[in-house]
Amino acid sequence: MVKVHDVHKKFGHLHVLKGVSFEVKKGEVVVIVGPSGAGKSTMLRCINALEKVDGGHIYIEGKDITDRKVDKNRIRAEVGMVFQHFNLFPHLTALENVMLGPVVVKKEPKEKVRELALELLDKVGIKEKAESYPSQLSGGQQQRVAIARALAMKPKVMLFDEPTSALDPEMIKEVLDVMIELAREGMTMIVVSHEMGFAREVATRVIFMDDGRIIEEGPASKIFTNPDHPRTKLFMSKIL
Amino acid sequence: MCGQASPWRSLPTHQKSRRSIIISDSKFTLRSFVILFVFFLILFLGAYLIQAKDIYNWHWQDIPPVLPVFLKAAVLTLEVSAVSTIVAILIGVIGGLMKISSEPALRLLASVYVESIRNTPLLIQIFIVYFFIATIFNMSAFQAAVFALSVFEGAYVTEIVRAGIQSIPRGQWEAAYSLGMNYFQVMRHIILPQAFRVIIPPLAGQFISLIKDSSLVSVMSLPELTLTGRQINSRIFRPFEVWFTVAALYFVMTTTLSVFTHYLERRMRVNGKST
Repeated sequence: MVKVHDVHKKFGHLHVLKGVSFEVKKGEVVVIVGPSGAGKSTMLRCINALEKVDGGHIYIEGKDITDRKVDKNRIRAEVGMVFQHFNLFPHLTALENVMLGPVVVKKEPKEKVRELALELLDKVGIKEKAESYPSQLSGGQQQRVAIARALAMKPKVMLFDEPTSALDPEMIKEVLDVMIELAREGMTMIVVSHEMGFAREVATRVIFMDDGRIIEEGPASKIFTNPDHPRTKLFMSKIL
Repeated sequence: MCGQASPWRSLPTHQKSRRSIIISDSKFTLRSFVILFVFFLILFLGAYLIQAKDIYNWHWQDIPPVLPVFLKAAVLTLEVSAVSTIVAILIGVIGGLMKISSEPALRLLASVYVESIRNTPLLIQIFIVYFFIATIFNMSAFQAAVFALSVFEGAYVTEIVRAGIQSIPRGQWEAAYSLGMNYFQVMRHIILPQAFRVIIPPLAGQFISLIKDSSLVSVMSLPELTLTGRQINSRIFRPFEVWFTVAALYFVMTTTLSVFTHYLERRMRVNGKST
């Protein structure tokens, strides 16, 4: 489904990604962990073509999105993204936020999209807030609207960039529950997060990144409790 | 995010509100009335002395007969200003988009336009338009006035639009792009509607100052308020009365607009929810 091959990314002199390769199969849930500055978010943003790679290739369903001839907007329409700071559109209601993608990008009829959007808001548990503006919602509610907004495009893969790290502790669970449900339904997901509970419950694999490279990967139980690499061990000892 | 009232925040707010009581919430006292009374007394005495000593004879009774002419001229001033503002907004949106473009040539062109307009006097620009451009293209006085004022105003609107667009956080672009929207869709549905709210107050301010700046197009022999003032003055020769009337008419137009703007701003703040 997603294949990342030897990807490099530089910001000026800063070499953020130093040859990252991994593969995510359909229906897999991959959790990426690692210290801040390891390049996790940059990696995710490259998969959504929000950042241009400086070397290597990223394939989504066999299509090379680093190819300049490929229509980036079409790629992005098939890849859902959830951000750390939600990035809801403040001038639109929750419902309008969810409807916007299909209406504007896919040019689907409003009535049909409205039904779909209400279904999705119901799925993330905030149907009753459909007419509220983002500023009237709590952080957890905003993030769930953001997930519904991404799902409205019926993406083939969902990317989560630290979806719970800007949330107050009591709101983390409501967002994770939605993500767990999504994983159980078979959605392909790549998640940058340090939520151990989530990783243990649904992750098919955990990838540990440090200093622009993948240090090791494996099942959650192994990476969290019995990693091979000393750097992974050091990191886990700090966050556990 | 969500505005929870924190007990820690109440302390500095409280201090601030106490300070503002001293400065702005103080009441009118007898002393205030005495100060105002003395001020207006001096003003009135001055006017009386001018009359009594035969320095200047007030002839306010000459103004009402010419008032309809003034009002017609004021309407023309408003027309020129309004049409110029509309054209200036078009120029400003295009200029603002050029200024944030990823193409350096477009950015350069927009900068050259903005800087050359903002760093030369409007009166000189009006001369250039009137004696050169308007002659070549055979423009009427009204067209030339609109041309000069909107090109002038467009430079300022360009900067307002640029600042408005850049005030929208990058996350909004990214979220919209991640849904698969293209540049124009992001602009139309996400950025401009939000930027518009930021842009309205300074834009209204520009429109108000344009009404005042439009007095300069009187040199184009367009019978707007200022030129009409000059013509009527040369007919009835009452300079103080005429120019006070002209000033008062400008004042009424601009203050009416700024009151309306405040109302508009307040209404948008109620409707527009922002994080």
